[in-house]
Amino acid sequence: MSHAASLSTFSNPMRTLALVGHPNVGKSVLFHRLTGTYVTVSNYPGTTVEVSRATPRFDREVSLLDTPGVLALPSRSDDERATMRALLNENMRTLIQVGDAKNLRRTLNLTALLAELGVPMVLALNMSDEARARGVSVDTATLAEALALPVVATVATGGEGMGALTDALAHAAIPAPLLRYDEALESRITAVEDLILTHCPHPLLAARGLAILGIGRDAEVDAWLAAQPGGAPVREALAALTAPTGRDTLPARLARQRSAAAEALARTVTQQAGAKDRTLSMLVGRVAVHRVWGWPMLLGVLYLVYLFVGDFGASTLVGLLEEDFFGGVLNPAIVDFVHGHISTPWLADLFVGEYGLWTMGMTYALALILPIVTTFFLAFGVLEDSGYFSRLSVIANRMFAVIGLNGRAVLPMVLGLGCVTMATLTTRILHTPRERLITIYLMALAIPCSAQLGVVLGLLGGISFTATVIWVASIVLVLLFTGWLASKVVPGRRVPLITELPPMRMPVLGNVLKKTGGRLKWYLIEVIPLFLIGTLIMFGLDRSGALPWIIEAGKPLVVGWLGLPPEASAAFVMGFLRRDFGASGLFALQSQLDMVQAVVGMVTITLFVPCIASLMMIVKEQGLRVAALMLAMIIPTAFFIGGVLNHGLRLIF
Amino acid sequence: MNATPRPLHERIRLIGTPVGRMVRVVDFGDEIDPLQREQLHAYGLSAAHAVKVLQQHPLTVLLCEHVELAIEHEVARHVWVEPA
Repeated sequence: MSHAASLSTFSNPMRTLALVGHPNVGKSVLFHRLTGTYVTVSNYPGTTVEVSRATPRFDREVSLLDTPGVLALPSRSDDERATMRALLNENMRTLIQVGDAKNLRRTLNLTALLAELGVPMVLALNMSDEARARGVSVDTATLAEALALPVVATVATGGEGMGALTDALAHAAIPAPLLRYDEALESRITAVEDLILTHCPHPLLAARGLAILGIGRDAEVDAWLAAQPGGAPVREALAALTAPTGRDTLPARLARQRSAAAEALARTVTQQAGAKDRTLSMLVGRVAVHRVWGWPMLLGVLYLVYLFVGDFGASTLVGLLEEDFFGGVLNPAIVDFVHGHISTPWLADLFVGEYGLWTMGMTYALALILPIVTTFFLAFGVLEDSGYFSRLSVIANRMFAVIGLNGRAVLPMVLGLGCVTMATLTTRILHTPRERLITIYLMALAIPCSAQLGVVLGLLGGISFTATVIWVASIVLVLLFTGWLASKVVPGRRVPLITELPPMRMPVLGNVLKKTGGRLKWYLIEVIPLFLIGTLIMFGLDRSGALPWIIEAGKPLVVGWLGLPPEASAAFVMGFLRRDFGASGLFALQSQLDMVQAVVGMVTITLFVPCIASLMMIVKEQGLRVAALMLAMIIPTAFFIGGVLNHGLRLIF
Repeated sequence: MNATPRPLHERIRLIGTPVGRMVRVVDFGDEIDPLQREQLHAYGLSAAHAVKVLQQHPLTVLLCEHVELAIEHEVARHVWVEPA
């Protein structure tokens, strides 16, 4: 295969640069600085799980990639594999390794592998301000000389070093290898390298680097070899070489020797001066994971979020917008206008009737949901940037052990409170397919998205605090019990938690607002069409006489078993499209609901089917069969729990 | 004489190390999953480097070159350390 012919096989022929590095070192902030394109940026490892692409400001002829963080290469988790796929399949011309300046040893550990890929590189030592604050100074000139590549100190959040980094790209160079492995490893590497060169050379990546990754059992390199016409002999040789041989495996020996080389170089170029042993950030960070004080802090955080979202957002703002503005001013004016201009009654009803596109669809989306999700996304953004979510994984670890997971799964679940669809994608940060399957199932069943959460808090908060507590307790119990069952049914074993705790930081208002704006835009783009489609369906069902029939047919379940008014059947029909749409339907019935009915209705609708977008994401990530199976379990579970709760609560209240 | 040289320091389990103590990682037990051993290496836990034990409950938390790592007891139990 000729070199030119190989290059033409890239999916995107544009010359590509990529930001590569450990999780949570600031790649996405740098991406934003270099391209002007905003991707979600947070203070916890695993924010980026897919590759983002944009054209950088400094060169409109190239494409810049923001890749998911890699703890180490060879790749192991799904997000690491996404990065490896980009390295293998993109027209990769320059790598910008983004490293944590205060932890050079770890940065160089990754450099030791990237250097073997034969792609020109630049090393950006980011978070230099945090390194300085901790008394760490790096001799970048000596480091650049040792690695034979440009090294630039940056502070991406403050824009420091961006010009120098852009200039350095013109001098990107293939780095000098950090080490020679021991003789036995080198002979194996050379053997595989020769086979790759003979049978399936990569158009851009060095055969030696691919050999090291292959011996390290990188699944993506294996998949790439499998796709090459001449890859079979290489795979056979790798299979023979990498067969498990006791404890000291070849991947472990490769990793250990890279680590030793990185350690030696880091020692040479790093100076550690005295630094403050206790800062406020450290103190807050310790309290957050303290065995005793961590819990009051968590309850305090939850209470503040409740006050901001449930009280201020769902009560005050919704009251102002829905009742005062939409109910008192806007909707009467629009109803008058429509009736004044449209003489056909059914057509007027289509816009401003009981199931009107404006009076139901747009009013729910803008007056009810928008204030709730806005306050939620603001609170969420603050917590994300503070670094608290990673610490939550420590506190929640023991509880998650009950459901066969470790505390790492708390991240997608908390993100699910924002939007379950995106959180389903974030499960890629989990290390095993078992963890992903259980987490996705639990999110589809029992994690309400922000809009639904807001509607629930708005309705139940208005009734009594007890109602809210019963709803929370019911959902947590269902989550724990079904999780425990799932952990017994899904084969595999639980993986203990090992995680990095990023420093607690003061959230940057600009980033929080930017994130909130981006999320609201995405949310409205998804919600408004679905709410309008849902309203149209309800209108059609009502006009055709099907809705009264559904309400009648649903009576034994909805009235008899759940103890709700017959009209609640309509809310469940709406819930098939989006759970928050269904919750809004129950919210509209609030004057007809007593405390038990409100709790039962909200618990059932919370556990009810995941929204269509989430379902599509589950199909994408787990396949149609798994998604269908989840759905088949979730719907009966929701109604079963709702009924049990109805009959149980009636005994008490 | 072929006697095994006596270790310079006693080896203890990371889980039993007092809070505030500086230690060096000597070995990872076979009980730790190979992928998690790789993970520990990648986080920078290696024999040559001293780490500080910040807390032991609910998880073992270490300070390893300005980065805090939380390690569940099931793993920390099989990490052997010696005083730095």
